[in-house]
Amino acid sequence: MSAIATMTPKRTARPAVGAPQRLVFGLTVLFVVVLLAATLTTDGFYSVQNIKAIVNAASLVGIIAVGMTYIVISGNLFSLSVGITAAVCAMTFLWALRFGMIAGIIITIAFGATVIGLQGLLVGYTGANPIIVTIGAGALQEAVATWISGGVSVYPPDGGPDYAFLAGPLLGIPFPVYVFAGVVIIGGIVLKRSTFGREIYLMGESPRAGRAAGLPITRLTTGAFVVTGICVAIAGILIGAFNQSGTLTATGTLTVDSISAVLVGGTAVVGGRGSVWRTAVGALIVAAIGDLLLLRGYSTPVQLLVLGLIVTTVVILSYVNSGQGRRA
Amino acid sequence: MPEPMRLEMREITKTYGNLRAVDAVSFDLAPGEVHALLGHNGAGKSTLVKILSGVVHPDSGQVLIDGVEVSPRNPRHAQELGVALVDQELSLVTVLTVEENLLLGSLRRSTGNSGSTSPEALRALLDDLGLSHVKLSAPTGNLPIGEQQLVEIARALSRDARIIILDEPTATLSELEIAKVFAAVRGLAAQGKSVIYVSHRLGEVLTLCQRATVFRDGKLVGTRNVAELDRSGIVEMMLGHVPESGRQGLAEVPANPEVVTITGLSVPPRIQSFDLTITGGQIVGLAGQVGCGASEVLRALGGLIPEARGTVDISGSRLTLGSPGRVRAEGVFFAPNDRKEEGLFLSHSIADNLVATRLPRLSGGGFIRKSLQSLNVNRLLALTGISAERRGTEVGSLSGGNQQKVLIARGIEQESSRMLLFDEPARGVDVGGRADIHELIRGAVAQGNAVLFSSTELDEILDLADIIVTMFAGRIVSIRSRAEATAASILTDMTHGSEVMSA
Repeated sequence: MSAIATMTPKRTARPAVGAPQRLVFGLTVLFVVVLLAATLTTDGFYSVQNIKAIVNAASLVGIIAVGMTYIVISGNLFSLSVGITAAVCAMTFLWALRFGMIAGIIITIAFGATVIGLQGLLVGYTGANPIIVTIGAGALQEAVATWISGGVSVYPPDGGPDYAFLAGPLLGIPFPVYVFAGVVIIGGIVLKRSTFGREIYLMGESPRAGRAAGLPITRLTTGAFVVTGICVAIAGILIGAFNQSGTLTATGTLTVDSISAVLVGGTAVVGGRGSVWRTAVGALIVAAIGDLLLLRGYSTPVQLLVLGLIVTTVVILSYVNSGQGRRA
Repeated sequence: MPEPMRLEMREITKTYGNLRAVDAVSFDLAPGEVHALLGHNGAGKSTLVKILSGVVHPDSGQVLIDGVEVSPRNPRHAQELGVALVDQELSLVTVLTVEENLLLGSLRRSTGNSGSTSPEALRALLDDLGLSHVKLSAPTGNLPIGEQQLVEIARALSRDARIIILDEPTATLSELEIAKVFAAVRGLAAQGKSVIYVSHRLGEVLTLCQRATVFRDGKLVGTRNVAELDRSGIVEMMLGHVPESGRQGLAEVPANPEVVTITGLSVPPRIQSFDLTITGGQIVGLAGQVGCGASEVLRALGGLIPEARGTVDISGSRLTLGSPGRVRAEGVFFAPNDRKEEGLFLSHSIADNLVATRLPRLSGGGFIRKSLQSLNVNRLLALTGISAERRGTEVGSLSGGNQQKVLIARGIEQESSRMLLFDEPARGVDVGGRADIHELIRGAVAQGNAVLFSSTELDEILDLADIIVTMFAGRIVSIRSRAEATAASILTDMTHGSEVMSA
């Protein structure tokens, strides 16, 4: 849980430890202490059942957050439409099950990769602001999906393949947890070891230097979004399988939660730094906080409030710490 | 009693650390005079200008304006004292109108000086500068650069400046625009304003100025009436003695060198039909002052200027300009002149930076091969003389010289490379580091690559280039081999401008 301490984007090398660093360190320690104290004083937090629930809750958010990590590291901030795309992917999956299990999965992943990849292409090619592009794309998806579905839920076809295992437990652990682990491992290795991953880090660190060095900016940006699209589709499939029906409102706070997971894990907002492993830890922390508040009887709005405070603090601190906040 | 000088600077000294930027320099300026400040990069001109405009404070010495001793505390205070600096870099806000820019930061309202900011007064100012066709309500960004420069001058005048400092005002202008600036400067002098004219362009100085003061290495060389000077006289004063260092005679041309033919290269707005042939195995240096166009040529060849047109053939294959990625695929590697902003990935390691442009070559099946990367990094580190143990160090924490070495080394020793471009390869690097960087570049050329670099510094040109191409105002002035070039001939061509200036 020491992830937050090192999340600071170090744009310039600073040999001496300055006040901002001490502030970040202090707040991180405080955060960890409060969290630990809370877990120890909350009845039932350290039960097997509860830990399972936390990991399970972290899975869907975590899978999407792994994809989002690519976008953040590439220096393109966030996609703000992953929640709606996940919902549309769930609908797509349930509909496509009529072509069989494998076909359903492939169609859904291709759909997610295309929808989000196109947004990346737009951002990479034109240099448009990713926040605005993804908000627009989100509204567009919502409109088209409502139009096609007629506003009613999508259900799996009668007599279609059995997909229940996607939501059920395997060896006592929910299936999504295995998928989460797989996505983290593959996503982590690709980001750290592949040429594509390395170039994403470089581009995120400095788009201008990346351009001058001849890095394929458009291709890399599109690629980062495609990875997110694949992850969102996977999450969508799991959501569809769990709900056994698909509606546009099925994914709730997934977008905010996945962004929170990336940032709390310590991936720099400004790009160029971070990792999938950090995001996985971030997803678990976010889930643990939610669980903690639930066990202590706080309502959903309070959970959202606490998460919002943590994320805002993390973002502000990362700017203060990088020196960008002191431009005056 | 004789009228006091408009400006007197007496025995001004300013040191930065161990460096004496200006050393007991004196300088004066008469009312209605246009006075040139001349000297190499680092000669001390800009420090003097900064002292006068309140940006830096002298260690010792006196400044008198109209006989009254003053010490400009900051740019605003200098402005109150009647000193206006028109910088080389335009400081207009392009989204605002001309009128808004003229009023921006104006002191008049707060201090209640004489004069007026009425539209009529501003209109008259613009008319005087030959901008009668420009509306006060026009967005500044829509004006050509030359007219923007004139608006800057108008802004200086609207503040009742008595001393106007023009720092390289024509470096980025076309000939027509230069003529306008000249007319404006003459008009100012006729009104009794005093102008300090900082320029590398000797032709302009000879045409426009009454006196010229030359600096060298922070010291005053002398002040002369321009009427008594000619081009070679000024060059001699600027040069003093320049060691005729560098490589004499050419390196051996390797077998099968790359041949690069550039035909009709145009880079808007200033470079038209630029032609040059580069043979691999020889280092070609583009020599010229800031704004001569050398940097633009390199950037265009590096694929960084989408508007660039023209044909570039590398040993028979055609280069597609306008995309850095495509240009790199053809074996062209570009090192920009701004290592912090555009060159290096500062928070990444030395190793990451060294191989940033050759990752596909170190990969198999989409994944980086660690052993291959390691091999490359070690070889490059050995060439730069940076210890191999530091390979994991953040590049941002290195000294400027070592950072620059990493940037240069990134482009060399690649099997796929055919043309290497270095924009100011030793910018801001000390003498020792510069020698190492030149050594790296010489090593690259020995492998048959076509190598083109740019520099504004005479010493660097003489030290590194086998072929020296001098540029002025976007055009090639001369092409000489190192053996037939002299410091004086190169400097003369770099500061060339007689036919431009025939006023």
